Amino acid sequence: MTKRMLRFVANDREVGTEAWEGSPALDFIRRELGLTGTKEGCREGDCGACAVILGERLENGAVRYRAAPSCLLALGELDGRHLVTIEGLASGAEDGLTPVMLAFLAENASQCGFCSPGFIVSLTAWLLEGERLDEAGALTAVEGNLCRCTGYGSIRRAASRLLAEFPGLPADPLARIDALVAARVVPASLAAFARGKLLADDARVRPAAGETSLVIGGGTDFYVRNTDPEPRDGFFLAGSDPALRRMTRSGDGGLEVGAAVTIRDFFACPELLSLVPGIGRFEASFASILVRNRATLGGNIANASPVADMTSMLIALGARLGIARPGGDGPSREIPLESFFLGYKKLDLGPGEIIRTILIPPPCRPFRFNFEKAAKRASLDIAAVNTAVLLELDGNRVVRGRLSAGGVAATPLLLPKSSAFLAGRAVSAGTARDLAALAASEVETIGDVRGSAGYRRRVLERLVMAHFTTLFRDRVADGIAEDLAVRVSSSEEDRR
Amino acid sequence: MKTIPEAALNVMGRTAYIDDLPEPRNLLHSAVKLSGSARGRMTRIDAARALALHPSVRVITWKDIPGENQLGFTVADEPLLPEREWEYWGQPLVLCLAETKGLARRAAELVVVEGDALAPTFDPREAAAKGDFILPPRTQRSGDPAAAFARAAYVVSGRADSGGQEHVYLETQGAIAEPRDGDRIFIISGTQGPAVVQRAAARVLGLPMNKVEVETRRLGGGFGGKEDQATTWGCLAALGARLSGRPVKLCLDRKTDMRATGKRHPYSSDWKIAADAEGRLLAFEADYYQNSGCSCDLSAAIISRTLFHAVGAYRIPNVRVTGFLCRTNLPSFTAFRGFGAPQGIFVMEAALDALARRMGIDPVELRRRNLLEEGDITHYGMPMTRVRARESFDSLLEKTRWRELRAEVDSFNASHALEKRGLAVVPNCFGVSFTKLQMNQGGALVHVYQDGSVLVSTGAIEMGQQVSRKIARVTACTLGIPIERVAIERTTTLTVANTVPTAASTGSDINGMAALAACEEIRGRLVRRAAELVGGPAAGLSIEDGRVVRGREDTGLSWDDLVLKTYESRVDLSAHGFYATPGLFYDMEAEKGSPFAYHVYGAALVEVRLDVLRGLYAVERALIVHDVGRSLDRAVDLGQIEGAFAQGLGWALLEELAFGADGRLLSDTLSTYKLPDAHFLPARLEVEMMRETDNPRAVLNSKAIGEPPLVYGIAGYFALLDALRSARPDGPGMYDLPLTPEKALDYLTGDRPEYGREKAAKGDTPC
Ligand SMILES: Cc1cc2nc3c(=O)[nH]c(=O)nc-3n(C[C@H](O)[C@H](O)[C@H](O)COP(=O)(O)OP(=O)(O)OC[C@H]3O[C@@H](n4cnc5c(N)ncnc54)[C@H](O)[C@@H]3O)c2cc1C
Ligand code: FES
Ligand code: FES
Repeated sequence: MTKRMLRFVANDREVGTEAWEGSPALDFIRRELGLTGTKEGCREGDCGACAVILGERLENGAVRYRAAPSCLLALGELDGRHLVTIEGLASGAEDGLTPVMLAFLAENASQCGFCSPGFIVSLTAWLLEGERLDEAGALTAVEGNLCRCTGYGSIRRAASRLLAEFPGLPADPLARIDALVAARVVPASLAAFARGKLLADDARVRPAAGETSLVIGGGTDFYVRNTDPEPRDGFFLAGSDPALRRMTRSGDGGLEVGAAVTIRDFFACPELLSLVPGIGRFEASFASILVRNRATLGGNIANASPVADMTSMLIALGARLGIARPGGDGPSREIPLESFFLGYKKLDLGPGEIIRTILIPPPCRPFRFNFEKAAKRASLDIAAVNTAVLLELDGNRVVRGRLSAGGVAATPLLLPKSSAFLAGRAVSAGTARDLAALAASEVETIGDVRGSAGYRRRVLERLVMAHFTTLFRDRVADGIAEDLAVRVSSSEEDRR
Repeated sequence: MKTIPEAALNVMGRTAYIDDLPEPRNLLHSAVKLSGSARGRMTRIDAARALALHPSVRVITWKDIPGENQLGFTVADEPLLPEREWEYWGQPLVLCLAETKGLARRAAELVVVEGDALAPTFDPREAAAKGDFILPPRTQRSGDPAAAFARAAYVVSGRADSGGQEHVYLETQGAIAEPRDGDRIFIISGTQGPAVVQRAAARVLGLPMNKVEVETRRLGGGFGGKEDQATTWGCLAALGARLSGRPVKLCLDRKTDMRATGKRHPYSSDWKIAADAEGRLLAFEADYYQNSGCSCDLSAAIISRTLFHAVGAYRIPNVRVTGFLCRTNLPSFTAFRGFGAPQGIFVMEAALDALARRMGIDPVELRRRNLLEEGDITHYGMPMTRVRARESFDSLLEKTRWRELRAEVDSFNASHALEKRGLAVVPNCFGVSFTKLQMNQGGALVHVYQDGSVLVSTGAIEMGQQVSRKIARVTACTLGIPIERVAIERTTTLTVANTVPTAASTGSDINGMAALAACEEIRGRLVRRAAELVGGPAAGLSIEDGRVVRGREDTGLSWDDLVLKTYESRVDLSAHGFYATPGLFYDMEAEKGSPFAYHVYGAALVEVRLDVLRGLYAVERALIVHDVGRSLDRAVDLGQIEGAFAQGLGWALLEELAFGADGRLLSDTLSTYKLPDAHFLPARLEVEMMRETDNPRAVLNSKAIGEPPLVYGIAGYFALLDALRSARPDGPGMYDLPLTPEKALDYLTGDRPEYGREKAAKGDTPC
């Protein structure tokens, strides 16, 4: 096996290792670095006990710190970056207790304590880089952390304390870091790393991708399925190619998104928000902030889960994939996203090929877009069913529509009949109802632990109606409400 | 705010749980091979490929067990490793040791266990029909139910089901065992009951208990899941250590933990309830089919708590309730916070809900009319004293301005078709003590050192309920010193022997009392010495805040000086304390007695908002009024109330164990088994502790806090049902907990498939 020296800063010291870059960072942190404050609670991104903060100097010279679940983090991701663990945070405070830790103590927010380091890391990251410094922002910050003891009341109160203690933190990342170093929320090593004083000589360029046998985006799917991957050659971290992390306006006014763009960055992109107004509100329905910080668009698509949320949205938006070899050299091709899926987890992707870009076309006329998802838990839960719709409108009439659905077949789908049906229809409760029935008849649902086959069909029907009540509430809500009431009693009659 | 050293270590990430401990030098890792079907007769174990993997691999089967292959103490139906048959999907069959965790896991995968399939049973009613019970059914009765039903104005009957619940202690199960000094074994076990592990390991290894030492540091959560079911892992590690002569570590990954270990018992129950024309309850009958899983474990004690809590916080003169322990081919269901009581209370609340509908009255009014009163005698013959059912219920109604709230919600619902709000109020009356009489005992060892610092060891395991903090407070109070002078030592079988598991909410009651007894003993000796030092009689002297005082007057003698001088006069500064809860008795033949030291009361209101179109919902608000006696520590009690409520709410609305048609656990990860996250809990969660009153039956007038508040989650179920009914007024009763979005939508669309069947048939599609 070819070995590569990874160099990074672990808390306040530089570390070098030749360990395989595909092994999970959590194991390295706990076993090799001996930093056991980072806990393993699930090893699949669901509990946040393993959260760490990862700092990087971006292409444009800015610095950015974000929380990540280290159980789903490739060791290679640490290369050239700054890893901050709970021990690192403690080391910055005089008696080992940072203001976040003290807030936890004051509110008795640590009971068995197993989750506490993870929560503290998440809340510290929130102070470091959170856009919303309010109660809702705090809740978002810890949505990827589970606590089985407290019921979260004391944790919320600890967050409120922090809000009171740190009003008006600077928006500029570097100024924010300095303010938090001064307040001993984070250690001085962050300011040093940000200014290039730690790992200063790290001018190494990553080796160009050679023969690729394994592509990893954020790893949030890969490590769930491979908890202990065997070392192998040809490991390629998509994010190590800066081109794959860019989002640019394409010539036709659409958007070209690099496959390694994270879900978090995608939703934060101003061009996207102006291209598809309102899309930002669907960010919260995707996983947790910990996962969104890592998961990539390309990974969401290539993982080919039937319930992939981003894929469902992108299909409705008419996205196309740019497929090529990892380095971008050699031939490349473009295909509609929906035709990328050939069967359950079967892709139109040749050996050595990867998704390089996702192209979102500009809409031709005024349009509305909506996304719906049904899951057991409102946040951080994989959908039983999801669906997205794009309606190009001429006044009250749909000119062209695209309806996608996930969780109702072996792959994410564009529903062709339903989409065709939309052309020329008026926006009305009747259209919503007919479309919903058509969509439900167009799919062949199967049952699993997230929902029975029957439920999936029924909920798809309801979610399709919800597209209309959400987008055109005034025009359709009454009609749909009436319709629901009638249906319930008629099905009761059937039973008698 | 004073910081507590323990919690400070937690938040700094310095608390060492089992997997965080420095590993001993020649440590071997281990992994278990789990069964891959629900039931089979073993024909062959082939370890060849596993052994070929690496020279360090060792495969251990039941044949290697030196002692008795049995963990079951109530019923001998729990072999450590099965000899002939495996009885559920996910049962540990073989233990593999190796140099690394990865090797041990791969070795376990390579072991081949062959066998003949046997027909499994999963449904408790099916087991009951076959008469396959773990122990004979138990019945409690009072009055004459048959006669009462005959003359009642209203009689309603039905069925109620409640699902199991995974503990999801954040720290998975684990143990490290080390051979010591020849034939001794030292086990660090993540257990709520070190003495249980000690006894079982001794039995399995064929050693006397004095050769087995078990130590427990703090647990990353337990909730009952480590009361009995930590024993397997402690014993397997000990077996590996014994056989290999090297330290062995066994820490489960989440999936193995979820597959192999037991959870809260699912119940399926039939009930029948009767009231007179005024809505006074006359009679109640129920049959509880407890899905006990494949072995007894704690099922017998759990069914008795169900029976004791069958009528909840209500007075019903004629009762007949029967519990069946049904054997199925599922993991052995076990203790989980509430211990059978929530399952029983859910049935009672379902019956009341149905009765209120039949009578056409507000269920809250019906509940209120029938609350327990002072002096009532329960169906198991216990006279009720210091009853606070009405006080808590009324105070809740007053705080929520119940009438106005109900009217407001009704008018909201009338004007909103696609959104509905729902309300419910549920009272609580929870009996405290182990239902198994002999377990109500505990010990403590207290040392006062020459410098005046104090060390306390008890049987109480710290697992997030902050019992250490309470015991430190009891100690400080009793000795009259600041709490900073007290340290609580981890529990080991060397310091305090024959402890009972930390469970049944009794951790601080029993261990606190034992510590109190030891402290009183030492304080007596100190005060006698103080009298010699300051002159005058010992009577009237006391120690307060580190000073020896007579009445209010400081005698000039400090705690530190007194301790040193007492030591110099050759007086013992250590004491062992013991406590056995007094006044408990129970006649198993007659099924009558006073099995509880006291009861805890309270009531909760929950409000939900339902999205009628999507069948999704959110819990908007909860208000809890709860009886804490005289709280030992209000912050700790608040954390317990909020945490238990969150678990109760999860059980009622979200957490769903899914087994395939073949008995395989489908919800075996945290991505398929969802528990409450921070968004799930209502932003408006108010907890009101009731006016403090004395409780002479527990330490310093406090009340147990761990389990009772879990019951409040049940209000979440009925609040959602209330909202569903506003959307569909003609809808039937539906008592099938948890009330997940799927069931909610089925209710709204009028479809009610047989839950579980359809889903299971297709198996698991990885997403
Ligand atoms: C806790 C948790 C919650 C989640 N919640 C959601 C959710 O709400 N909605 C949802 O849709 N998903 C969810 N997921 C799934 C997952 O996060 C997403 O699918 C994510 O977008 C995957 O991206 P990734 O970059 O992390 O994928 P990776 O794990 O890096 O890769 C996934 C697969 O795609 C391949 N791949 C990656 N990039 C490329 C590329 N550029 N070209 C070709 N192949 C590539 C990899 O080889 C791998 O096989 C969740 C996952 C976790 C752990
Ligand atoms: S260990 Fe649970 S999220 Fe990483
Ligand atoms: S304190 Fe125990 S899991 Fe959070």
